[in-house]
Amino acid sequence: MMVEVRVVGSSMYKIDRHYNLGLRDLAVAVVQELKSKLKEFVKPDVVLVANAYGEAVNHQLVLAGKLATYLGLTSTALRVEAGDGSGGSAIFTAYSLLKAGIAKTALILGVEKLSDYPSKYLNEALSYNLDEEYSYQSGLVPHVYAALLMKAYMKKYNVDYSYFANWSIAMHSNAVENPYAYLRFPANMNAIISSQVIAEPLRLFDIGARGDGAAAVYLATDEISSKISDEYSKIEYVTGSSSDIDFVPGLPAVRSIGLEAKDLLKQAELAEIHDSYSIMAALQLEELGLAEYGKSLKSLDSLIPINYSGGLKARGYPGGATGVYQLAEVHQQLVGEFKGKRVSGAERGFVLSTDDLSRSAYLVYVRR
Amino acid sequence: MKIAPPSVWRIKDSLYNLIAAKCEDCGNITFPYQQICSKCGSTNVKSIKLSGEGTLIDYTVSYQAREGFEKVLPMYVGIIRLDEGFTIVAPLTDVNESNIKEGIRVKATLRKLRSDSSNGLIVYGVKFRPAEGQ
Ligand SMILES: [Zn+2]
Repeated sequence: MMVEVRVVGSSMYKIDRHYNLGLRDLAVAVVQELKSKLKEFVKPDVVLVANAYGEAVNHQLVLAGKLATYLGLTSTALRVEAGDGSGGSAIFTAYSLLKAGIAKTALILGVEKLSDYPSKYLNEALSYNLDEEYSYQSGLVPHVYAALLMKAYMKKYNVDYSYFANWSIAMHSNAVENPYAYLRFPANMNAIISSQVIAEPLRLFDIGARGDGAAAVYLATDEISSKISDEYSKIEYVTGSSSDIDFVPGLPAVRSIGLEAKDLLKQAELAEIHDSYSIMAALQLEELGLAEYGKSLKSLDSLIPINYSGGLKARGYPGGATGVYQLAEVHQQLVGEFKGKRVSGAERGFVLSTDDLSRSAYLVYVRR
Repeated sequence: MKIAPPSVWRIKDSLYNLIAAKCEDCGNITFPYQQICSKCGSTNVKSIKLSGEGTLIDYTVSYQAREGFEKVLPMYVGIIRLDEGFTIVAPLTDVNESNIKEGIRVKATLRKLRSDSSNGLIVYGVKFRPAEGQ
């Protein structure tokens, strides 16, 4: 008999600069909240920690085992790392373990602390996302790749900067309603087009707002799920792909997911995507087949609801924990408990979780 | 920033010499050199030295640096189409607002990248500058 993998509970912590909270504090807060929402907290067979910058920024290794111990759990604990796509890779792993019968329950814990250091130190850690031999050594940062993709896009489709501002406006507007969002204020065209230039033409408002946060999702097989919760959504499909970006511009890893899951994606009624930069939102929407090439950010109103959380731009960008937030948000939308802007009656949604520049991409497709 | 000599020494081909991999089966070029072609998976790959000459397709000016690279701000970074048909993202040097333009010819040059303040070790590497006559 086929095992069904269900999301039986989720919780999130408001993303912010939490100077008074460490990784452990954030983890405990979010797991305690999760426990309070469940009928019974069954000790999970596995604990999967999604965290990208633990050693670079927090000087920590064996994070999963330590957090499990700190949470009073003796479960098998693994940290799954794929940079800012760690959330997606942890969900992929948890799903696989449940499907394979190795575990019946999994606690996925996304946790990240990014706001302790000023930007030049954080940029050092972020540049670990680049190839070691040349890009890292020569002093590049991921921002310049986003800027170059943006320029290529502007040329190819003959759009100006205001095209990208549409994304920030939409995300800020969504985040106003999300109590867990970092930047809960509206943004207007003027503020965006006059914001600080980070790497021409990329401006501050084009960049996901990195912050501290934690989110937890509890997965259980159909055999045990009713013991934990009556309310659930099910994970119907997961997949992933890896490839370098190209300056055509395009994201081949996301394109390959779009082709593989074409029929499912067509039926989706909502999504949370990885808008680390506004250009990434445009490219992802187009490569997934949700919008026409060169027109995605002009036609946001005609697409399915995207990033009602506020996205990385305004909900915030807690590194490797991001994918876990996204799954919590999609699940909560489907079961009708999301506290922000709602999509009513939706039955199918998905998460696209990727690293900063979408070279490692993971799709999680969820159904009511 | 601490720099370990072996970690820089072993990548000298990438940092100083622009040694890339050319797939004999599909023609794909990858830089830095790698033994397996990312495009088709073939191991029939030979190492080639890129000429370092090419055309600036586009560029950006970055105002945010990493620790250790503050002195190069604002940092010009280009997408360069090398004459071998391969595209590389690399820092530009000897450029300013008045001499940089899309489409100009550029050439690789060895420059200081960063130094280790604790032991004085300096890392050099390839950047690109406008070719003579530009
Ligand atoms: Zn090949």
